[in-house]
Amino acid sequence: MVAAGAADPLSGAAGPLAAATREGPAGTPGIYLHCLFCLRRCPYCDFNVALYREDRIAPFLDALHRELALYGREAWASRTAVESLFFGGGTPSLLEPAAIGGLIEAVARTFPVQPGAEITLEANPERLTRERLLGYRAAGVTRLSLGVQALDDRVLARLGRGHTAEEARRAFGAARAAGFAAVSVDLLYACPGQDLAGWGRGLAEVVGWGPEHLSCYALTLEPGTAFARRPLQDLPDEETQLAQYRAMVEGLGAAGYEQYEISNFARPGHRSVHNQRYWRGEEYLGLGPGAHSFLGAVRFANLRSQLRYRARLDAGLLPIESWERLSPAQRLGERIVFGLRLAEGIPRTWLAEGFAAAPATLERLLARYGEAGLLLAEGERVRLTEAGRLLADAIGADLLPAA
Amino acid sequence: MSLELIRTFSIIAHIDHGKSTLADRLLGLCGALDPRKAVDQVLDSMDLERERGITIKAHTVRLLYRARDGREYTLNLIDTPGHVDFSYEVSRSLAACEGAILVVDAAQGVEAQTLANYHLALEAGLAIIPVINKIDLPQADVEGTREQLADILGLDPEEALLISAKEGTGVPEVLEAIVRRIPPPPGAPRGPLKALVFDSFYDPYQGVVVYVRLLNGRVHPGMKVLLMSTAKVYEVQQVGVFTPALRPVEELAAGQVGYLTAGIKRVADSKVGETITDALVPTAEPFPGYREAKPMVFSGLYPVEDTAYGALRDALEKLRLNDSAFTFEPESSNALGFGFRCGFLGMLHMEIIQERLEREFGLTLIATAPSVRYRVVGAGGETVEIDNPSKLPPPDKVEVIEEPYVRGVVFVPVEFMGAVYRLAQEKRGEHRSADHLGKRVHLTFDFPLAEILVDFYDRLKSLSRGYASFDYDLLEFRPSQLVRLDILLNGEPVDALSLIVHRDKAYERGKTLAERLKGVIPRQLFEVVIQAAIGSRVIARETVRPLRKNVTAKCYGGDITRKRKLLEKQREGKKRLKQLGRVEIPQEAFLSVLKP
Repeated sequence: MVAAGAADPLSGAAGPLAAATREGPAGTPGIYLHCLFCLRRCPYCDFNVALYREDRIAPFLDALHRELALYGREAWASRTAVESLFFGGGTPSLLEPAAIGGLIEAVARTFPVQPGAEITLEANPERLTRERLLGYRAAGVTRLSLGVQALDDRVLARLGRGHTAEEARRAFGAARAAGFAAVSVDLLYACPGQDLAGWGRGLAEVVGWGPEHLSCYALTLEPGTAFARRPLQDLPDEETQLAQYRAMVEGLGAAGYEQYEISNFARPGHRSVHNQRYWRGEEYLGLGPGAHSFLGAVRFANLRSQLRYRARLDAGLLPIESWERLSPAQRLGERIVFGLRLAEGIPRTWLAEGFAAAPATLERLLARYGEAGLLLAEGERVRLTEAGRLLADAIGADLLPAA
Repeated sequence: MSLELIRTFSIIAHIDHGKSTLADRLLGLCGALDPRKAVDQVLDSMDLERERGITIKAHTVRLLYRARDGREYTLNLIDTPGHVDFSYEVSRSLAACEGAILVVDAAQGVEAQTLANYHLALEAGLAIIPVINKIDLPQADVEGTREQLADILGLDPEEALLISAKEGTGVPEVLEAIVRRIPPPPGAPRGPLKALVFDSFYDPYQGVVVYVRLLNGRVHPGMKVLLMSTAKVYEVQQVGVFTPALRPVEELAAGQVGYLTAGIKRVADSKVGETITDALVPTAEPFPGYREAKPMVFSGLYPVEDTAYGALRDALEKLRLNDSAFTFEPESSNALGFGFRCGFLGMLHMEIIQERLEREFGLTLIATAPSVRYRVVGAGGETVEIDNPSKLPPPDKVEVIEEPYVRGVVFVPVEFMGAVYRLAQEKRGEHRSADHLGKRVHLTFDFPLAEILVDFYDRLKSLSRGYASFDYDLLEFRPSQLVRLDILLNGEPVDALSLIVHRDKAYERGKTLAERLKGVIPRQLFEVVIQAAIGSRVIARETVRPLRKNVTAKCYGGDITRKRKLLEKQREGKKRLKQLGRVEIPQEAFLSVLKP
């Protein structure tokens, strides 16, 4: 039997990638399954998605199962506990509950899934009935992440979304009716045609629904998207965006949500277990076209094209397109910049390690940010303040260790 | 070899009138190599010359020509630098010649450099062969150009040869004219050695290769020679001629042009204009007219990364080996750290050196705004010269500030006269004279050198749709109402951004400079206040609002690599910024001072 990583053409039998896939994670990884399909491509989205086609679903699911099985042959699989499973996309809720159930079962057959593991499904409001949601719950999904984005039909139309505000309301109600006790809502601010008041109204209504978790992102013009190609005339200006952000932080804070990451808010005990893995530099295994993984010290990514992804699996090989072995400095740098996005911040020792060769530079930077009220360096931990979070990239770039 | 059979000459012309094309034709007819190809073999990487279409080093070639009288002549063509920055070098090259071919474009007519070079050739006492080039062009005006030669230069129009260097028409006549109209070199093979240095370059294997023209005597390997301005003695290792590649010969004799090597370590030790003589039997009289090429334009060069200081010093020393006109000495700046104050002959010279440092030595540099040298008479009557505006003493310690002036000649079609006057006025030009020469006018102004350094020529060209030409000669220092304009960032003066300007212009300059800096200083985590001040008086103020938002909203799908790379790129970008206190300044900020 050929070990999954051994025959990989990218690295050869002895390369770092083969080592990572054969030796597996050092700890308890999360598992991400990329559900590729969407009914349309939203003009702001640069994720790896494909238009939904009935006849593509079965081959796609089959390939996903085979990819999982390749990892299942590795010795590490049976001794690796999994604490989170995340169906992302694409639009995972386009897959039937039975298909989701089949994948959850297959994962559980391959890896020992810890009892009480978080199993999240991303869902769009369209076609989301109570019956369907009951099916997902029965299949083992514990957490629903609902792509509401906005509650103003004009804004939804500008965003190219395929649902109305009313459908979003009904979908949230259906999730509750189906018994989901952990529901997250995705919202977008800084949208075209969205002013401060409009954003505030949508946010207040969602707070009224009482979700356990919210992810609120500023609309970003990603290169290569339709929004980036044709200029938008009615994007809110910087002042409005900042006001929208502040209104969000204040409103959600007053409603009892903790801003545990720059764009993520949770009621106590309801942070996303899976997403925290990314920010904390922990391991995860991604399955599906274009999915990213991080095992040991190696980051790797699957082929993005579903056809090439399938063809590679047909040949019995892992569908990996690229990989990168992180140097200790890179790994530390990632933990610093992503850790700073979290309310808990980072241990000061990480920075001391990153700036071991230039401790005075670090002290100067920390003092400067401290004076400006952007950063708190009290005791053992370093955290960004409210003002500092808005500048997390600029500060993070300064605090990256020298390569 | 009989002196009768030697002719030494130069080709002089306004830029783009066809000097190089004619030289190529002459070489072709005499069966020599293309000198620009051959030059690559001897000079290291002067790509810049070809890219900019100008001659920086003098290229010299020896041609063998069988004339119609049946005799074989040795023709030495000394190709002179073609830019006003190097006019001293031009004058030394011409001093090595007996004749000059003056090339004039039949479509453009006589222009400023035609005139300037013509006067240099006259001063050197050369026989001049006027040549009207580009007669093949449809817009060629041969008769008009002839009239200009007569009216403006006082030449006999019948003596002008009509050629098309591009097509080769008339070029054989040029060779004949060289033999007939240019006298053979003077000199005595028996006298004590007396040779004029007209160029040199540094070769890592042989040391300095010195270009010489012998007036009297002979020189051969093993001979001890004296360089008269430095009083240093060297033993000659090799002598030779330019074919144009260097070809060793047994000896060079009076009247000949060639090179010698003598273990000279630096070009600065064998400067252009130097006299070489026999160490045992020295000549009584060195060549007249020798002077040190004095830098006129100064700029601070600083490495962007402090750690590159040593590499910059090494690179400057290497360039200096081959360029005696350029000077450098260490200086430090509160804004830029440790660097060098460098002196150049002019703006082109400065650009060339900076470009070579970046290209050939891989350095990333910040250059401060070019400055001239000022003469400051203190309250106690003592005089100091400063070449860095930040070194100007405080106003109460200064009695008078003097600045170098030039006499500038603008040659322009009459319809652009008004525009030229307006520009000259803006540049503090004092009008000296106007001569109408047909449809053109010859305007003379005295300008402060500082005013014409940066954009004068470009603006002159654009206001005249390319027709104006310009040339200048240095005059003396003259007192001016000058003040130092300082730039402060968050209250801290940035010495590298200081400049000396005329009092009447200070307000406007301060205002535009502050505005421009606002445009190039990126928003940062803190507010940046930009002030322009004269002494303690703030004359302009701008604010760069602090950066409010710089955060990726969504770190999705586990593609951490992409995000990390973006941040690494952001950090790399920051490395190119110079940290001044809390303010980060991009290189462009220092360039923005350049533009008036």
